[in-house]
Amino acid sequence: MSSDLERRYRRVLRLLPGWYRQQWEQDMVAAFLDSWLTGDPAADEYISKVAGPSWAEVASVAGLAVRLHLGGPGTPRRYAWGHAIRRAVLAVLLVHAVLAVDVLVFLVWSRRLVGWLPAPPASLVVAPGGGWDTVYYLVSVTWIVIFVTLALGHYRTARVLAALAVVPGLVALLQAQLTGILPAPFGPWIFWVLVDLAPVLAMTAFHRDAPPAAPGPWLLALPAGYVLVYGPLMALQATGNSAWLPDFSGLCCILVSLACLAHAPRARSRQAAGTGLRSLTLVLLAAVAGAYRIVTLTDYLNDPHLINVSLAELLIVVAAAALVAPDAARAQTATPAPPPYPHAMAA
Amino acid sequence: MDLDVAQRLFGQASPNILLSSILTGMAARPMTGQAFYVLTALADGPRHGYGIVGEVAELSQGRVKLKIGSLYGVLDRLAAEGLIEPDREEAHDGRLRRYYRLTQDGRRALAEEAELRAATARVVRARLRLTGEQAAG
Repeated sequence: MSSDLERRYRRVLRLLPGWYRQQWEQDMVAAFLDSWLTGDPAADEYISKVAGPSWAEVASVAGLAVRLHLGGPGTPRRYAWGHAIRRAVLAVLLVHAVLAVDVLVFLVWSRRLVGWLPAPPASLVVAPGGGWDTVYYLVSVTWIVIFVTLALGHYRTARVLAALAVVPGLVALLQAQLTGILPAPFGPWIFWVLVDLAPVLAMTAFHRDAPPAAPGPWLLALPAGYVLVYGPLMALQATGNSAWLPDFSGLCCILVSLACLAHAPRARSRQAAGTGLRSLTLVLLAAVAGAYRIVTLTDYLNDPHLINVSLAELLIVVAAAALVAPDAARAQTATPAPPPYPHAMAA
Repeated sequence: MDLDVAQRLFGQASPNILLSSILTGMAARPMTGQAFYVLTALADGPRHGYGIVGEVAELSQGRVKLKIGSLYGVLDRLAAEGLIEPDREEAHDGRLRRYYRLTQDGRRALAEEAELRAATARVVRARLRLTGEQAAG
């Protein structure tokens, strides 16, 4: 017959996924009761009535539950999701870092901080904007630091910095909303929610046991991303074709679509290892880009042409994601086990 | 905050962005402190869950007090990686205790991790001695 103490602990264990409880619950309950009960029936009866899992014990189970739901190592199906979320977060932070590089390049050029650079066109020269400008530049630099620290595996530092970095954006949004100078009704808010807040919350997937990504390619992606994305955009602008420039959410859709198209042949061949995890990551990114595009449609309600362009971008990203979606679905059922410790592998 | 700053802050005017996401494979993980203690607790023979908690506390001189949730997070992972395996089950006060033991891979991984930590400790001691001498000098 189960005691009150056991019932209380089993209630806490409901935080864990069912498949995990099936395997470990009995064992965990036995170990927990061992930690309380003395073997003296009278004392144990009293303990069972008054004692319960401590906050630290509950926190340890909650932490385990988060890790399992977000793909701790050894959790086959969940592992795929945890891996995909971590890669998607890194990709969104890469966006932030590329944006930040652009902000800093723009600052250097428009303020003529480097003497040998050609003078910027008058339209790009911006007068210093006071305190908000300083905050804006500081936050930009911080996003670069967050991306680099996360890519290098310093998860806790990155999480703390990211939590701080989203605050100025929220304050500025609230101020702009209250003073009526928000450029569009929903776009800025959804940008903050999807591109600032959501990745910060999703950074819980970078838990202590999360395997680090290989930092080299991610760090290289920062300068490469800046050159490959801003190069064509600047060329369009310089050749007087600014009308072809997509807005931010449109650009997100286009880039995610290109990434899906580039990955599609491997995803469909199903020969290379790990394609499913990449496909799942791309599907996640496509979902974010698509959601962002849908909400920002409302910014163009008075312009049928831009509505049509936005809908075309949405269709493109959905079609591109559909190319890799079957492979992504496969990743959830056939994810390879995480690698063993390096020592065991070497042996 | 003026309109110009607001537009730059919220980015509708300036197209920005990412390149195709560069998705990379996994790197091998280093052994965590908790995993090291749990493997060490099993080095001299099989133990059940609460037995491991007690042994880890003793090995660490009370500095590492594993909660049950943390312990089973570690045990689950070590079992998935083939470093430990169930040994036997024994009834105790109406409860079934499951004992765990090291596998050959686990023994090897523990030995190599211990060697790595010992080498690091030797370097630390040498450097501290050196800086101690410098400070004294």
